[in-house]
Amino acid sequence: MGSLFATLGITLGAMEADRGAVEITSNNIANVNTTGYSREQVNLSENAPVEIGNILFGTGVTLGQTTSVRDNLLEQRLDQENQSASQLNSFLGAMSQVQSLFNETAGSGLQSPLSAFFNSLTQLSTDPSNSSYREGVLTAGQNLASALRQDSSNLQALQGNTDLSVVQSVNQVNQLTQQIASLNVQVSGLESIGKDPGAFLDQRTQLVRQLSGLIDISETSAGNGSLTIATTSGAVLVDGSQSFELSTQVNPNTTYHDVFSNGVDITPNITGGSLGGSIQARDQAIPGVLNQLDTLGYNLETSFNTQSRAGFDANGTAGVNFFTQPASAAGAASSIAVAISDPNLVAASSDGTVGSNGNALALANLQNQAIVSGQTPINYYSNLVFQVGNQVSQAQSEQTAVGLVQQQLTDQRGAVSGVSLDEEAVNLIRYQSAYEASANVVNVVNQLLTTTINMTQ
Amino acid sequence: MSVRINPDPAPDLLAAIALNRQAQSTALQQISTGRIVNRLSDNPAAASQDVLNHVQSNQDDQFLQNNSFLQSQAASTDSTLSSVVTAVTQAISLGVEGANGTLSDANRQAVAEQVSGIRDQVLGLANQTFQGNYLFAGTATSTQPFVLDATQPDGVKYNGNTNVNSIQISSGQSIQINLPGSQIFTNPAGDVLGALNGLITALQTNTGLPAANTNLDQAFTEFTTQRVFYGNALKQLQSSQTSLNSDKLQLATQENTLVGVDLATSITNLEQASTATNAILSATNQILSTLNLLNYLK
Repeated sequence: MGSLFATLGITLGAMEADRGAVEITSNNIANVNTTGYSREQVNLSENAPVEIGNILFGTGVTLGQTTSVRDNLLEQRLDQENQSASQLNSFLGAMSQVQSLFNETAGSGLQSPLSAFFNSLTQLSTDPSNSSYREGVLTAGQNLASALRQDSSNLQALQGNTDLSVVQSVNQVNQLTQQIASLNVQVSGLESIGKDPGAFLDQRTQLVRQLSGLIDISETSAGNGSLTIATTSGAVLVDGSQSFELSTQVNPNTTYHDVFSNGVDITPNITGGSLGGSIQARDQAIPGVLNQLDTLGYNLETSFNTQSRAGFDANGTAGVNFFTQPASAAGAASSIAVAISDPNLVAASSDGTVGSNGNALALANLQNQAIVSGQTPINYYSNLVFQVGNQVSQAQSEQTAVGLVQQQLTDQRGAVSGVSLDEEAVNLIRYQSAYEASANVVNVVNQLLTTTINMTQ
Repeated sequence: MSVRINPDPAPDLLAAIALNRQAQSTALQQISTGRIVNRLSDNPAAASQDVLNHVQSNQDDQFLQNNSFLQSQAASTDSTLSSVVTAVTQAISLGVEGANGTLSDANRQAVAEQVSGIRDQVLGLANQTFQGNYLFAGTATSTQPFVLDATQPDGVKYNGNTNVNSIQISSGQSIQINLPGSQIFTNPAGDVLGALNGLITALQTNTGLPAANTNLDQAFTEFTTQRVFYGNALKQLQSSQTSLNSDKLQLATQENTLVGVDLATSITNLEQASTATNAILSATNQILSTLNLLNYLK
């Protein structure tokens, strides 16, 4: 049978364990609103018994290492969805601006200058000698050219802004990978001595979440608590204590920054995170719209110039180019301009007399001819409007879907790792009661000891 | 053991509030703009169709404007030709009067003078301008088309050309809007100016008067035949004006179907979103401020 002092020892141990448990509970309560915090669990374990005589006596309780409650698979799923969400956010940020350039519903876009230009020619055809109608054609042509140039330059500016965010995102990636690598060291260090690296794991999980918002990543556990992170296309970003920087370099062909990992251009392989969204907008979506504008501008200029040269101006001389003739479609929209400044040079006549409207009519009729990639200029433009709207609309639908998944996963994560104040309150009561009970045991042992001591007097 | 649920309802509540605020803002925008498509992405197909619709509508506006100009021009031409009819009719009577054998030379000369005045009047009408352009010069509208020229067989020289202009009066429909002056006034099948000149000479010389009268009659018939062209053009323009106006009306209706808002639906949506927002806000207040177990630890 054990001694009263042994009982006191058990009680002391229990009181210490309960005090520790209250501390852990209070830490959970303190972090109830901390983003990324995973609740910690109290691990109480029974001490090994001692054999006295033939009887085994328990020796009390020990407070073991705390365990952070987290589901790594869930965290990875959240990272994946975060990649998609950030990619869509960043893509939509750029494309919403593209969309607003062609927002015909709000009156911006090319429909109005295109219509006005062709209408000015229809008007000129009613009275080709009318100098104010001729002036009207020049002005409408200049307005159309200016609208095309403006759209083209706005798109290029947008591309430039998106390029800036590519560079900024790469810098952020590098900062994060450095921090993650150093946290890897701390996590694996603590794990190797059997301690719970909960706080560091929480920090690392948060940083990985931020990283997944910037670039598409795949995570693999290195086994010792450290995490290996690579882009989904395989460029290693973090390996144990080492981080590998991404770099940017201006591509002389595009004048925008390409992203390199260990000297290899990985730009086209980046598909997720805000970097993926920016690159998609900068290298695919915006250039697509720019190309269409160039095609529209180039074909308008070419067809219009050809028809102009087939006619005669108000002075009876052969018509000249109405627009400056670009060498090729590339960049046509950004350079389109009306080549003539004298309204009399508008080639409205088909027979050299000022009263002939044949060529004005032919010029006006270009709007009904398939002169732009097999379509009329207006149909081509309305397709462009559809495509831009559709790209944004599709991305928005995906964004909504990803948002819902993210919300569900966040709920699931909360269900696993979130701090419940009710739970913590119950625990607090349990540990408080246990502590009080142990204190009472001390009291009882004290009385027993007093009784024992008094027996000897 | 019960299933653990997410103890933090705040993100879900915020998401629900944001969703309803967005629905409110969308409904408000629809009501204030009167359009259900306010961004291309709201309905890309409708936005794209709307572009075509606007182009068509703008084109119709221009056609209507052109139509009104062309109608004035055609009306002015028709009125000019009507004056020619009056003048030539008078000349025909004078020719008949001149052919009367009882007329003295002096009286015949006086008739010749009168016919000569009518010829000048018709010449003036043939050189009529509309907004600075000669109406009967073909496409050479800056050149005076008719001048008296004794070297010509009919005594008149035509300086215009035989070209004509066509105008698009509606989408896909064009009409010819003029006849060359030579076809109207110096047509080989009936040359009005030549016949008038012939009558003057016949009256002055008192020779070949019946033939000159016959010529003028024939020329007058040909002239009235040619004149019909302008009457027809005017009718076509008027009918095109009517169809353009109805096309515009149809386009407006189509636009409304495409992108116009159904106010009742939008207002209902706004009401629903507002009610839902209020409900969530009050629920949020209740949920977040509800006492949890910790509050009972005293």
